Amino acid sequence: MLAWRRLRADRVGLGALGVVAGYLLLSLLAALGWVAPHWEAEVGSHYAPPSWLGAAPSEAPWDPAPQSHWPGSVPLYGLQDPLAPLLATLGPPPGGVLAPVEAPRRSTLPLGADKWGHDVLAKVIQGGATSLQVGLFSAVLATFLGTLMGALAGYFGGRVDDAFNWLYGVLTAVPYLLLVFAIAAVLHQKGTGTLILILGLTGWTGVFRLMRAEYLKHRLREYVLAAGALGAGHWRRMFVHILPNTSHVILVQLSQNAVGFIKSEVILSFLGFGVPVDAVSWGRMLHEAQNEMNLGKWWQLAAAGCAMALLVTAFSLLTDALRDALDPRLKS
Amino acid sequence: MSLWRFLLRRLWQMIPTLLGVVLLVFVLFNWVGGDPAYLLAGKMASPQALANIRHQLGTDLPLWQQLLRFVQQIVTLDFGNSWATQEPVLQIFRTRLGPSLTLLLPMLLLETLLAVGIALLVAAFRGSWLDRSLMVVSTVMMSISLLVYIIVGQYVLAFLWGWFPVKGWSEHWSHNLTTYAVLPILMGLMVSVAPSVRLYRTFILDEINQDYVRTARARGLGEGRVLLVHVLRNAAIPIVTNVLMGLPGLLTGAFLLERFFAIPGIGREIILAVERSDFPLIKAATISVALATLLTNLLGDLLYRWLDPRVHLD
Amino acid sequence: MPGMINHLSPLLVVLLLLAGLLAVPAPAPQGVAQGAAPPVVALKVLHLDMSAPETGFDPVLTSDLNTAAIEQQLFESLLTYDYLARPVRLVPRLAARMPEVTQQGRHWLFHLKQGVWFAPDPVFGGTRRELTAQDVVYTLMRFMDPKNRSPYRFLLEGKILGLDERARQAQLTGHFDYDTPVAGLQVPDRYTLAITLKTTDYNFGHAMAQPMMGVVAREVIEAYAADTAAHPVGTGPYRLAHWIRSAHIVLERNPNFRRELWDFQAGSDPQDQALVQAMRGKRIPQIDQVDIQVVEEPQSAWLGFGKGELDVLGLSGQFAPLALEGDQLKPALAARGIHLWRMSDPSIAYYFINQQDPVLGGMTPEKIGLRRALLMAQNDTEMIQVVHKGQALRATYPIPPGVAGADPNYVSLLDYNPPLANQLLDRLGFRRGPDGFRRQPDGSALVVRYTTSLSSQDRELDEMMKKALDRLAIRFESEKLKFPEILKAERQCQIQFRLSAWIADYPDGDNFMQLWYGPHTHENNAACYQDAEWDRLYAQTLTLPDGPARSALYHQLARLLEINGVTKISTTHIRNVLSQPWVVGFKPHPILPSVWSYMDVEPGAVSAP
Repeated sequence: MLAWRRLRADRVGLGALGVVAGYLLLSLLAALGWVAPHWEAEVGSHYAPPSWLGAAPSEAPWDPAPQSHWPGSVPLYGLQDPLAPLLATLGPPPGGVLAPVEAPRRSTLPLGADKWGHDVLAKVIQGGATSLQVGLFSAVLATFLGTLMGALAGYFGGRVDDAFNWLYGVLTAVPYLLLVFAIAAVLHQKGTGTLILILGLTGWTGVFRLMRAEYLKHRLREYVLAAGALGAGHWRRMFVHILPNTSHVILVQLSQNAVGFIKSEVILSFLGFGVPVDAVSWGRMLHEAQNEMNLGKWWQLAAAGCAMALLVTAFSLLTDALRDALDPRLKS
Repeated sequence: MSLWRFLLRRLWQMIPTLLGVVLLVFVLFNWVGGDPAYLLAGKMASPQALANIRHQLGTDLPLWQQLLRFVQQIVTLDFGNSWATQEPVLQIFRTRLGPSLTLLLPMLLLETLLAVGIALLVAAFRGSWLDRSLMVVSTVMMSISLLVYIIVGQYVLAFLWGWFPVKGWSEHWSHNLTTYAVLPILMGLMVSVAPSVRLYRTFILDEINQDYVRTARARGLGEGRVLLVHVLRNAAIPIVTNVLMGLPGLLTGAFLLERFFAIPGIGREIILAVERSDFPLIKAATISVALATLLTNLLGDLLYRWLDPRVHLD
Repeated sequence: MPGMINHLSPLLVVLLLLAGLLAVPAPAPQGVAQGAAPPVVALKVLHLDMSAPETGFDPVLTSDLNTAAIEQQLFESLLTYDYLARPVRLVPRLAARMPEVTQQGRHWLFHLKQGVWFAPDPVFGGTRRELTAQDVVYTLMRFMDPKNRSPYRFLLEGKILGLDERARQAQLTGHFDYDTPVAGLQVPDRYTLAITLKTTDYNFGHAMAQPMMGVVAREVIEAYAADTAAHPVGTGPYRLAHWIRSAHIVLERNPNFRRELWDFQAGSDPQDQALVQAMRGKRIPQIDQVDIQVVEEPQSAWLGFGKGELDVLGLSGQFAPLALEGDQLKPALAARGIHLWRMSDPSIAYYFINQQDPVLGGMTPEKIGLRRALLMAQNDTEMIQVVHKGQALRATYPIPPGVAGADPNYVSLLDYNPPLANQLLDRLGFRRGPDGFRRQPDGSALVVRYTTSLSSQDRELDEMMKKALDRLAIRFESEKLKFPEILKAERQCQIQFRLSAWIADYPDGDNFMQLWYGPHTHENNAACYQDAEWDRLYAQTLTLPDGPARSALYHQLARLLEINGVTKISTTHIRNVLSQPWVVGFKPHPILPSVWSYMDVEPGAVSAP
């Protein structure tokens, strides 16, 4: 309650909270398909610029649906076609060709279009939902694992510490990228869940190291020793007495991991481990935009980059505010 | 417990960890690493050619024999030749580590100095407009992807303005450090300083609120002296932890920077090795990073003891 | 607060440090050798980039084009291709003249040039070492030595009389016998080599023109057995001067290179005249040093060329819109004197469907119709415009332009036609289920799995295929594999559907048509197509030289691939090469991986502007 009152007094923190909440709401709506459900529809022309720039002068138009040769009119060089009887009943349409129909496309869109003509605005919204999902869930997974193991190792020390240090040592010893490649190959599936698992399972070690250091520092402090003397059990001392005093570290780690994982997704996309082809994320958009920027089609880079920067900034500011509000030593 | 007994115990403890790494890498990359024979065999390989390649590489041996060979290689520190290029693996490390370190050591040094300096500055002015605006700037800076920094930085700073070469590397480390490495280091710092500043500010603020700081102030010590001597000394523990965690990463390099700026570093080589299923190189990289990680962990614990006598070495 | 000064100082130091770093002057012009004493005469240096690292310079172990490009300059093969003739034509290199071919292409008699010397090396003990026919025999034998596991073994495998038996014996004994002569490789005298083949092979000359067939000296290979890839000693115009592996390669003139003058005839291309005029009569090579950097990111190479750090640039597709307007160079670049070279690659990109796949394979009308519908749903025009940025041509025939047997007028049976494909599927019983996706005629689920690698270009291929299958209302599944895994799956007939590519090893149609030969299943017939009729027709083509008879058979083969829904040829890449104004005598070659010894840079031209 005290924390909430402190947070309410922090205008920057409240603003950040508002921005993050807005993103979460938008992402939820997008995930439910209520907002921007049809990002895969090719509504614009290729690289249609943003509306306020006006339509681009048409660059060497090409026929999206060229005339094709009717199979019946193609020489078979004396060979037999088993489908010939069926094709004969389908018959060549009047005019000799059966051309596919292309829907008309718009020459500008609010935030422009990518190379296929997808609406960048819809992609930013859907991509944000995916990126938030990846960042949040993997950060929660990593922080949970790291905190639990760090607490056990730092608090008990001795053989428990050895055991967790062994696991930590083995996992951090394998170079991060090799671990990513290996876990990706073991999971063998491409998808958002896989991404979360890769990031979560490889990302907990940083939290573990810091939490272990925190518990090493705290377990001999007077308040913990006093709690022990008053009969508090190990679990109580670890998670009731010490944990709140480390919550700022956890929060900073959570924030940093969420931010880090949203960014890691960009690198994983670069390495080919991004979201599947029927999904979109900011990382994937930035990766696509890498080449587009050189061609002067900067809008996808700008849209995804700004959306990501705004969220990450707000997220971090919010965490700072939370940290100040939650700091146990300011209570008195 | 004496320092020597502590050291011996920790060194002894490394053996199970190393064994764990050996097993993990062996299992993972035998299971999922792919069969390099298909790549090495070329465009028109016959099944006989494939069998011949497997025989030459020893991948047709029973798994336990391959594992034994792996352990033997670690003990003798001879990982043989790369499967893809026939270059001795040790030579790959010897020649590629230099460029990576030329890039990453100055980067780590500058990052730490900058981050600690800025963190102290904002901590001294905590709550002021300087603190807030610097934190916002650093938050915005770290929320932009390294990929974007590289692409824009290379285009604007190197190509348009011509301040730096676009890419390249020479044989002379001094020339590299002053010419080719500058832009990559700068781009790396753009993303690495901000998170460290944020983290170190937290550490420093933690200590500022401790009783001993108030005592120091009450004793009439100047704010600068309190910050630099008392606060920094105590905040140094988590800071050193953080820096040490970055050290083994020096061995795997920064593959994005190395790729874009055409730097012959080890990070690029490892990615290539994974793409080519070049198992000898993967094994050697993993083992050396493992050793480095273990040694820095040990170093970290020794530093704890030196910086904070309250931490016991048991 | 007075204490502020104190704790600001480290920050100041850091800022000063940073300022110091930034103030470092721009790099010295690259034309001057770095670090060495300033040369008295300005060397002519050619600055190039390479998109992937080299793999070491032992020709027998080489499998990639980048390495082959360098080996083309370090080593020499018996034959090579004329610099300017199009379509390409074989000409002698180490051979004094073209070989005498007798017994329907079974007997090949080579006469070698005299006075060809290996580059100096400590192994030769200070004496000049002349190349002889015995060196050629040793070089050819090395390809069959199991120890060398050569990727280009197939060029000789099953061809030379007695050589396969020698390889089999080595497999058993663990030792390849180089000392006993082989029946098919006879050396009547120091400068004559008589090769006898097992069967008719009119393409054997192409095999002898491959850069990896560059001749080596036995004593060098044996002296450096531990790392032959690091000690290339050949007879070519250049030798390896400096090498940072995977990063930087510098070639310099081979001091022992024989006196050879530039004497190529202009071809049909009008640009050839000026080239011949500039170069005729000059001694080969003109350029003193070739400086090659490995630059993996196309952005870095493009910016490097723009700054003049590179002299010649192979323009990658994604950067084509920056340099080109349609098929012309942008005026701004043309005004700087930059030259564009544009030609179609001797390569094809082709879809294939695994004929042994449980879902897509089989020869019933339903399966054939399904496969043809899948292939007809591929929009190659969109692929060219959106994915390749216009830098590809629609290809219909398995043999690309510039390769013997090509037919640019061939009409495809499987042109892009989704309405027809949908009608076919409707009539063959692939009805849509309640979820809107088609099912198999027996009502079971229908999912098409498309395999691509992890590279970013392949992500666009996924998007193309997703769109194609959406047109047919067929469920799409993406399989992403590392490249070696794809090769493995192909060899094991486990890929369902893939867009693959093939670039000519040698400019003859057979190099492409063999991709669907039944006995090549588990090798490079990735479609695992085994059809008695097709194989019979293909076997006939092997006995024929290039000509109308073989072309008639090739047309049947190509059509049969489409009728059975095995393959659809999609595109042929366009190669765009840019050269700086000071580069002289340059013209890219479709087959030769490098032509540096035939080029020149204008004297006094400094590459940095």
